[in-house]
Amino acid sequence: MANLIDRTRDVLSRWRRRFRDDLKASTDASFLTAPRFFGLLYGPIDRSLPIDKALRKALAHRLPAHVGWRHALGGVAYLLFMVMVVTGVLLSLHYRPSSEEAYGSIQHIVTGVTFGWLVRDVHVWSATLIVIVVLAHMARVFFDGAYKPPRETSWLIGLMLLIVVLMFGATGYLLPWDQWAYWTVTEVLNTVAVLPLLGGLIVTALTGDAFVSGATLSRFFALHVIILPWIAFALLIFHFRMIRTQGVAPPRGTAKSETEGHPFFPHHLLRSFLVSVVVLAIVISLATLFPRPLAEPASPVEPPSELVSTWVVVDVSLALIRFFGPWGFVFFTLLGLSMAFIPLFDRHPERRHRPITALGVVFFVGFAILWLVGHQLRFAGPDVGASTPTEIAEPAQSGPE
Amino acid sequence: MKRGWIAVAVATVAVFGESRGAFSITVQDAQPQVAAADSVYGCVLCHADKRKAFIEGIHSERGIGCHDCHGGDPASLETSTAHTGTYIGTPDKLATVELCGSCHSDPDRMRQYGLHVGQIAEFRTSRHGQLLLGERNTDAPTCTDCHDAHTILTPDNARSRVHPANIPGTCADCHQDESLMAKYGLTTDQFELYRESAHGVGLFEGQNFASPSCVGCHGSHAALPPQVTEIANVCGQCHVLVRRAFDDGPHGVAAQAGALPGCTACHSNHQTERVPSDAIAETCLECHDAESRAAQLGVEAEELIVAAENDLQTADEAIGELVVAGWQVSDLRLRYQTALTDYLQIAEFQHSLDVEQLEDLGRRVGSISRDIRATAEVSAEQRWEHKLLLVPVWFLTLSAIVLGWFKLRSLKE
Repeated sequence: MANLIDRTRDVLSRWRRRFRDDLKASTDASFLTAPRFFGLLYGPIDRSLPIDKALRKALAHRLPAHVGWRHALGGVAYLLFMVMVVTGVLLSLHYRPSSEEAYGSIQHIVTGVTFGWLVRDVHVWSATLIVIVVLAHMARVFFDGAYKPPRETSWLIGLMLLIVVLMFGATGYLLPWDQWAYWTVTEVLNTVAVLPLLGGLIVTALTGDAFVSGATLSRFFALHVIILPWIAFALLIFHFRMIRTQGVAPPRGTAKSETEGHPFFPHHLLRSFLVSVVVLAIVISLATLFPRPLAEPASPVEPPSELVSTWVVVDVSLALIRFFGPWGFVFFTLLGLSMAFIPLFDRHPERRHRPITALGVVFFVGFAILWLVGHQLRFAGPDVGASTPTEIAEPAQSGPE
Repeated sequence: MKRGWIAVAVATVAVFGESRGAFSITVQDAQPQVAAADSVYGCVLCHADKRKAFIEGIHSERGIGCHDCHGGDPASLETSTAHTGTYIGTPDKLATVELCGSCHSDPDRMRQYGLHVGQIAEFRTSRHGQLLLGERNTDAPTCTDCHDAHTILTPDNARSRVHPANIPGTCADCHQDESLMAKYGLTTDQFELYRESAHGVGLFEGQNFASPSCVGCHGSHAALPPQVTEIANVCGQCHVLVRRAFDDGPHGVAAQAGALPGCTACHSNHQTERVPSDAIAETCLECHDAESRAAQLGVEAEELIVAAENDLQTADEAIGELVVAGWQVSDLRLRYQTALTDYLQIAEFQHSLDVEQLEDLGRRVGSISRDIRATAEVSAEQRWEHKLLLVPVWFLTLSAIVLGWFKLRSLKE
């Protein structure tokens, strides 16, 4: 018996030595050795490309000493975006974008698909967290003054990415096709319609019908899974390219970072890994503990008694619409868009205009307050307005008992 | 240019002159025509306000004119000559009944409109008719008090005083008059009680015109309060199954003997109060001794009905939970409807006091409710199981944090 064990150990030991020797003897002892060894890369091709060199350069890139944990917000936003891409692709395997089948397919995903509930709720919670993280990232950049020249383009691209994230959420919000989704989208579209000149055009283009219908669902789905991802990837590449070219902005009040910090690998990659693990755990925890509830299937002729918000931006939007009317919503949107012009007026590297600081405080603090207020309130069902389809609804009949 | 304008003017005069000729009505033609269309109808020269009211009504549409009711000469343009001959002025209440009856009791005239001709005969049997035609008491209403004198609209017109939704108000015009009703020893709270009743809520709030108004129970032209022995029959016209159960039970026998005022014994008349399910036993005690078998039956019925109600409510809540959790509930909703039907049968059979039947129905409601709740419990258990996923997730996360933290510290060193 002991003899057999010794022989087995000897065979395993020889196999391990041979594996290591083969690895060492491979054509290039670089980062790409392992995939090349397993046949995942073809040596002659990738040796002719500077992939390995670029990878080494990227990992060895040294970030300034002031880059710390708070600079991880941008990376967290990218992580959440990728989580949404992956979960979104998985959801699209089962989701059916038609007014007849959408609601049923969501029910199937939640109850009939293995871990479908987790995929959907991680997608939903990532949609909320990404807005918060992107705004926090934007606030960090704003209060660090990192939008000032020469990084104004990067700031503008970041703002465009925020808009794309909001559009992702807005178009995705309708897809469950339940009462809350249907009537929230109806109310927000009615609000957008009050915008002079463009409002009606935007709403007509988005709905594709006289009211929110199957045509609207198709358009929202196409925007959500086809059009917006391309725009988002293009903007992300541009955003990352700008950061790589211009470097991380120096601390506030200094024109240039004086000291060179640690290399990206392993210091910052390890930090990113830790942050990513925590963020993923938080997302999974939220998805498990607070799954997104589903209302009754959408009914264009019967508004629900109350609207339950399941997305941070809906909390803010409904709070604005219900408390300040359509123009409150429009004004706050314009306030957010006005942030794009800040680099034009605030160009000095070491000073800041107080009105610009006030603008940022109003936007970021206002968003936080509106979110908290909107989240606490349970909004009554929509008022049956002239532009909702309920006009055609017949009065409810109830018989005597 | 000047010639051109003259030509236009001549043509205009010719066209309008022609149209005037085509649409003008002679006195002879006008008499059977609608008064509203007749610009030379003499009555409207003085009675323009009446004309305005009249042309909105059905009589105007049917080509009836002022003189058909009031007589006189509508072709005359002078009062002195118009109010002559058959002119009767404003008919009094008794004459109004006869006047309306002269057409509405004539089968040959009414046949074409599909109207029955028994209104006057019915009116004679009503308390109103007895007072007016029998006792010559002009406190009683005549036809025009309910149907209006000039703006006579069909009952399907929402503005009509006899439209289903307006009938309670029309009756209340007199029956809320305290001084008038005091003469006859009648109360004046019927309208307010009716408004609060299930029937009133159905009619006014639900806009359900199948819900009976005053005439649904009292009759319209033959309006009379139902007799004690008639009450169950009146209610039974709509509540057919309840009446059948009531007749089969001990209360039905008593009601037929005149010892019990039918349905109103428990539900009152105009207010038609629902007896809350948890007040059934208490209601029984209004007539029965607490120790009696009848009172005990009431307690048993109440317990069964309350239990069935609770079962339904919990089943409904369970379906709500399943909807929120994303479950497909169409089958469960179908089963809930079955339970609801059984519950409604309980509401019917309780009037027969057949406890065995009630128990059987209650069991069926409870069984369905338990099935639905069991499905909701399965869903809740699944949600709980989902939370177990957090154990490995956070174990791995915390492990990664600890290991990463040590590695970061070693890198700093």
